[in-house]
Amino acid sequence: MRPKLELRNIGKSFGNQGQGADKFVIKELSLYVGEGEFVSIIGPSGSGKSTVFHMIGGLLRPDHGEILLDGRDITGKRGHISYVPQQHSLLPWRTVLENTVLAIEVSGGMSKKQSREKAREWLARVGLKGYESAYPDVLSGGMQQRVAFLRALLSPQEVMCLDEPFGALDALTRMDMQRWLLGLWEQTRRSVLFVTHSIEEALFLSDRIYVFSEKPTGVLEEIIVPFQRPRGEDILQHREFIRLRAHIYSLMKKEVTL
Amino acid sequence: MKNPFINVINKGWPPVVAVILILASWELLVTWLEIEKWFLPSPSDIIIEGLSSWPRLWLHTTSTLHKMLLGFPIGVLAGVLIAVVMHLFRPIKFAFSPLLIISQNIPIIVLAPLFIVWFGYGMFPKIIVVVLVCFFPIVVSMTTGLVDTDRGLYNYMRMIGASRRQIFLKLELPFSLPYLFSGIKISATYSVMGAVIAEWLGASSGLGHYMVISSKSFRNDRVFTVVFVIVILSLIMYALIVLVQKLVIRWNSRSVKEGS
Repeated sequence: MRPKLELRNIGKSFGNQGQGADKFVIKELSLYVGEGEFVSIIGPSGSGKSTVFHMIGGLLRPDHGEILLDGRDITGKRGHISYVPQQHSLLPWRTVLENTVLAIEVSGGMSKKQSREKAREWLARVGLKGYESAYPDVLSGGMQQRVAFLRALLSPQEVMCLDEPFGALDALTRMDMQRWLLGLWEQTRRSVLFVTHSIEEALFLSDRIYVFSEKPTGVLEEIIVPFQRPRGEDILQHREFIRLRAHIYSLMKKEVTL
Repeated sequence: MKNPFINVINKGWPPVVAVILILASWELLVTWLEIEKWFLPSPSDIIIEGLSSWPRLWLHTTSTLHKMLLGFPIGVLAGVLIAVVMHLFRPIKFAFSPLLIISQNIPIIVLAPLFIVWFGYGMFPKIIVVVLVCFFPIVVSMTTGLVDTDRGLYNYMRMIGASRRQIFLKLELPFSLPYLFSGIKISATYSVMGAVIAEWLGASSGLGHYMVISSKSFRNDRVFTVVFVIVILSLIMYALIVLVQKLVIRWNSRSVKEGS
């Protein structure tokens, strides 16, 4: 599979630089997301996942290594990915419709009328018809996250980075949102890099999973999820699902107790 | 959403009752203790005096209003401009923040006579005083809003590649609007005081001027009518600003913290 987004040998240290290799927060991290592939990163909290995202987004520069998009070097450059943060980060003074077109607006390249039309169409498609001119604070947590996801989906960047987008939701809403995202992704097939704490969430949604190690952050193991698409909830009971879940759990447990 | 006017009526009665109670006890005390009118007039004396000298009072009120309505918007505009420029250009903020604070430490009662020496008895020196007292609360509140801009939203805008300009226009500026309005409310009431003090220190018309003349001729009832007019003007200004705020800020500005 042709890599869409690729991280090559990324290293990052904070504080006093050049004081030995043990100071590295992220060490020799390499991973990729293929065209139209759903890839998850899973690891204990504090394993530098958000630092990785900030580097992909261009907010931080790695000390060494490079980040490639379609083979082009985008290290330290902003505006090449679309992004769904953990907290919805909808602007409270913008209506749902205005929030949905925000990322398009920032990236440019589409007329206001065109982008609004597209946003309206998508809002209706995900069951948010009638909420176009509502302010985000009247929406439920799940609805807010749907708008945040649409905002990223509609922006022109091809790679979507999702940073624990369901982390702040309650368990039921979370499962609902996973099914929703799975269905939507299977229709749109964007290249997705998805960060999560939840092993089940990663297995349910992903084509591949990178299990991260802690201190320094790196790839502990790469797991290929063997289930066919479109997927249903039946895979949750699948023997292979249960085996992989136990396997990832033991990997992460080792990491935490270290 | 509730109708703001009905809301005001529903919530507005406790302060109204409090004011009426205070005025009533004042009236009764003055009557019972047989206090002389030149010493302390009763509210009814003040209102009667206000009505009988209404044409003159109105003339001075319009003169003061004129100064306020010129000085206040200029002050707000200057405050917003200064806050924005200081926010966008850090070295300017560094260089000028001490000066801004100093500008508020020089007493107006010192400045106003100087302005009269420099610019004469007309409108201009009074408007400068109003601008001077109005712009500072705006600078402080607006700067706070711009600096306090939610980190989560700021990071999000950076992640999607927003330029400095886009972050300012789409995030920081709307974020600071509720802050700006708290500043404007303070400035609005200051503008009345600023104009009156400037007139007090030398003018040919206006409430401040009328107050000095009345005070010097021991017409305390007139002094109090002016006080009443000043209070009413301040309240009207405040209410107008609250109304504009309701029209401009339609979102729930308290929801920002939850969304970050």
